[in-house]
Amino acid sequence: MYKDPSYFIQGVLDHNRLLLARTITLIESTLQTHQDIARNVISELLPHTGKAVRLGITGVPGAGKSTFIESFGTMLTGLGYRVAVLAIDPSSTRSGGSILGDKTRMERLAVNDMAFIRPSPSGGSLGGVARKTRETMLLCEAAGFDVIIVETVGVGQSETTVASMVDFFLVLQISGAGDELQGIKKGVLEVADAIVVNKADGDNITRAKLAKKQYETALHLVTPSSPNWAPPVMTCSALEEKGLNEVWETITQHKKVMSATGELDEKRKEQALSWMWFLVKEGLETWFYNNEKIKDVLPGIRDSVETGKKAPTRAADELVSILGSDLLF
Amino acid sequence: MANTPEYNEWLEVATKQMKGKSPDTLTWKTPEGIDVKCLYTAADIEGMETVGSMPGMAPYARGPMATMYAGRPWTIRQYAGFSTAAESNAFYRRNLAAGQKGLSVAFDLATHRGYDSDNPRVAGDIGKAGVAIDSIEDMKILFDGIPLDKMSVSMTMNGAVIPILGMWIAAAEESGVKQEQLMGTIQNDILKEYLTRNTYIYPPTPSMRIVSDIMEFASQNMPKYNTISISGYHIMEAGADSVLQTAFTLADGVEYVRAAIASGMSVDTFAPRLSFFFGIGMNFFMDIAMLRAARFLWHRLMQQFNPENPKSSMLRTHCQTSGWSLTEQDPYNNVIRTTMEAMSAVLGGTQSLHTNSYDEAVCLPTDFSARIARNTQIIIQEESHVCKVADPLGGSYYIEYLTNQIVDEAQKIIDEIEEIGGMAKAIESGMPKMRIEESAARRQARIDQGSDVIVGVNKYRLEDEKLDFDILEVPDTVRTEQIDRINEIRKTRNEAECQACLEAVTKAAEGKGNLLEVAIAAAKARATVGEISDAMEKVFGRYVATTQCVSGAYSSEYAEADSESAQVIEDFRKRTGNFLEKTGRRPRILVTKMGQDGHDRGIKVVASSFADLGFDVDISPMFQTPDEAAKMAIENDVHIVGASSLAAGHKTLVPELIAKLKEQGAGEIGVVAGGVIPPSDYDFLYEAGTKAVFGPGTPITTSAGKVMDILEEQYLK
Repeated sequence: MYKDPSYFIQGVLDHNRLLLARTITLIESTLQTHQDIARNVISELLPHTGKAVRLGITGVPGAGKSTFIESFGTMLTGLGYRVAVLAIDPSSTRSGGSILGDKTRMERLAVNDMAFIRPSPSGGSLGGVARKTRETMLLCEAAGFDVIIVETVGVGQSETTVASMVDFFLVLQISGAGDELQGIKKGVLEVADAIVVNKADGDNITRAKLAKKQYETALHLVTPSSPNWAPPVMTCSALEEKGLNEVWETITQHKKVMSATGELDEKRKEQALSWMWFLVKEGLETWFYNNEKIKDVLPGIRDSVETGKKAPTRAADELVSILGSDLLF
Repeated sequence: MANTPEYNEWLEVATKQMKGKSPDTLTWKTPEGIDVKCLYTAADIEGMETVGSMPGMAPYARGPMATMYAGRPWTIRQYAGFSTAAESNAFYRRNLAAGQKGLSVAFDLATHRGYDSDNPRVAGDIGKAGVAIDSIEDMKILFDGIPLDKMSVSMTMNGAVIPILGMWIAAAEESGVKQEQLMGTIQNDILKEYLTRNTYIYPPTPSMRIVSDIMEFASQNMPKYNTISISGYHIMEAGADSVLQTAFTLADGVEYVRAAIASGMSVDTFAPRLSFFFGIGMNFFMDIAMLRAARFLWHRLMQQFNPENPKSSMLRTHCQTSGWSLTEQDPYNNVIRTTMEAMSAVLGGTQSLHTNSYDEAVCLPTDFSARIARNTQIIIQEESHVCKVADPLGGSYYIEYLTNQIVDEAQKIIDEIEEIGGMAKAIESGMPKMRIEESAARRQARIDQGSDVIVGVNKYRLEDEKLDFDILEVPDTVRTEQIDRINEIRKTRNEAECQACLEAVTKAAEGKGNLLEVAIAAAKARATVGEISDAMEKVFGRYVATTQCVSGAYSSEYAEADSESAQVIEDFRKRTGNFLEKTGRRPRILVTKMGQDGHDRGIKVVASSFADLGFDVDISPMFQTPDEAAKMAIENDVHIVGASSLAAGHKTLVPELIAKLKEQGAGEIGVVAGGVIPPSDYDFLYEAGTKAVFGPGTPITTSAGKVMDILEEQYLK
């Protein structure tokens, strides 16, 4: 690994694919030395970011996320946009390894010179998915990509994490046997900027239209996140490449509205702040667990809480006060 | 079931000989999950509906013909083809002179995928895994001097089936043979291509229409022609056990029957022309039983379509010995393996048979190895007296028991598929593929642990092995020859007529016309395979596969074995964990297949098991060019690329990948190669910069270990 931050910074600014890839690796690294360089790289590149459309996409397995991104991304490159796709694949908790197969489902986009696709394993990096994806997004912006698509599997907290770093959060759904709403979490509806019902093709069109109605009803029951934007429900067929234009128009319309009302700036400011707070929390946590005194007393305190000898509130106070006393020296 | 006094007596003797242990402890669980006891008796098969029929009579468990080989032995049909049409033609003629009875044509991968030889995507594939065919002129050379009105010709073609079959019919007609005289079989089994072999071109729906068009055309014009060969062979070679092979193959068959009926044909017009193709592996008795079970089940499954002709529910099959079971190590052992498998197919009652050459784990067969393979069958037919009795194993307690078990187990899977909505839907759901891959990963783990023995590979391995036989190599000049001929044809043909024919193909693809009919006309107008394929692609589009990969199967087979095996996995995970700790990330490998070779069992097993060992594994789409693979390696920033080759393209594609990586400043990304690579090519690959070459049969723990050696040397020192 190269130690000089300018090697990475210049590479990204030169739109060099190889160096962009290596800088992402740097950011994902678990080594402290790499993290130190990465921090420099990011702060140097920050002024060059902010121009891209940041798009988050989620959906249950089987919703056709990859096929959607393949068709949608290809359409965007056809319109002259450079597209970066960041995909997160789960790491095995047992082996730590992972299978990163996204590109097998994005065959055309993977070989497209206007596109850059980077799958990343979810495990094995400091701060988890949140840190590396957010910073990778910034790198891609600095490397001149016009649209950044962050793909996430709809499990755990990953949707809200991704929603908190993008401008537009798209929820991809498919029509099923009439029970569409069961598969969707309320929290996801709250952060959605649009719901797109995919696979509206063949003998599925009627069902897709029905599903669209149901989502529209469901969305009425949720307070929209913006007073200026009512999240629409649309249908598309990624397979037949139908309805994708309309999705893009919606996204650009959203950007127009949000920019005009100043909401986009506000949102990004908020996101930057909440990002800072996230890092603070994470830093505090690391500091806490790395503190020698804490390491000493923690097992004992844990024991006494478990056996009921000490109240959890009291134990927490004690632990925090240890940190406080540490600061005095 | 009450035990007879004799059985109880036996039990006593057996227990004594086992020093007090029950003989039940000898029970073996087969890969199919069937419990095999050490003894079978009449009590085990009492009342089974699979037992007690007659050969040539429904439900055909004992064979489709009443007298079986006593009346007429199976057809010796060797699958072959390589290089140019002229080379293959000479090879066929030598084989026919030496006792072979039918022809079976292997096409190269460019042809399979509907590309002409001058397409840059397929530069590494021309004439390699089969013969290169671009136009009717090639087809005429291929069958020069072979009387097509007398010789039955089998063609393994699925993707580019319309242009190839069209050219064959047109070539026959131009040599004076009428359509109704043509005999033989076209594989035309597109469903399994989406499952395992990946030589498809179009998406499933238009592909199924192509199948129906061919069935319809042949039912009207080619009464002696088998319009489909529903193939389990590739499913087995991809890793399926015998129950999975039976279930998926028959479920494919049912799907074709439905498609044909839906297109307006009545079942008895086409069903008698359906044929099957099974793969026979090293589980000797199991695969005998498999063929019997498949016939029984097919008869049962066909009843739902109310056929009146008994032939409509009679399963006739071709068989091939397993190519996957052959080893590169101590390769003459392959002659014995093939003999065992051939016997299994014969005792199971196959209608025709291909026996593999012993050198096929390494390279294409030579005249010599092809002779040994052919003689394996001739000796069984003419020396062993095996043919004298129909279904000689009928009534064997064990065989009948296994037959019944396979029927029951396969039926369960077929029911499951029916619930999903048939095989096409099941394939879409990914279920069959996942089952096959899980089975393959488990098998690899059993081999790597030594619990499945392969002589010369994981037991009785030779210390210092030297390859001592000739290797057939296809020169790269084949491509130039083909391109010259394409250019010649394009210069001399009537261009306007040719274009009109191609337009007719596109029109037929859009509407109702029969695609084969218009393709025959296009072939006569000297349109090429690529042009006819493109004319349909305009309407159908090209299919893009989705790749799924199982995880955990490899390591769980280890964990289930014993603590020592489990430790192997644990130790390896520590090693990848250590790499993460020292370098800041896990070892990351891209596994890729370049060229048109669609055999993805190897990379699937590697991907799945490497991930189990703690690697981050990137998988590339199929059919990559070296340029595309390099782009992916760079974007994903992997440490190393593993290129898999099973179709002789490695000498072109691997060095090109290394060059592309260097060109783009990513020279430190190493490349290792694996697959069917002759040892004589190793030095060539090493000189081109390949870091390691893994031949067939390399245990995963060995290849993964070597990859870690390379990475630790590069990044930890």
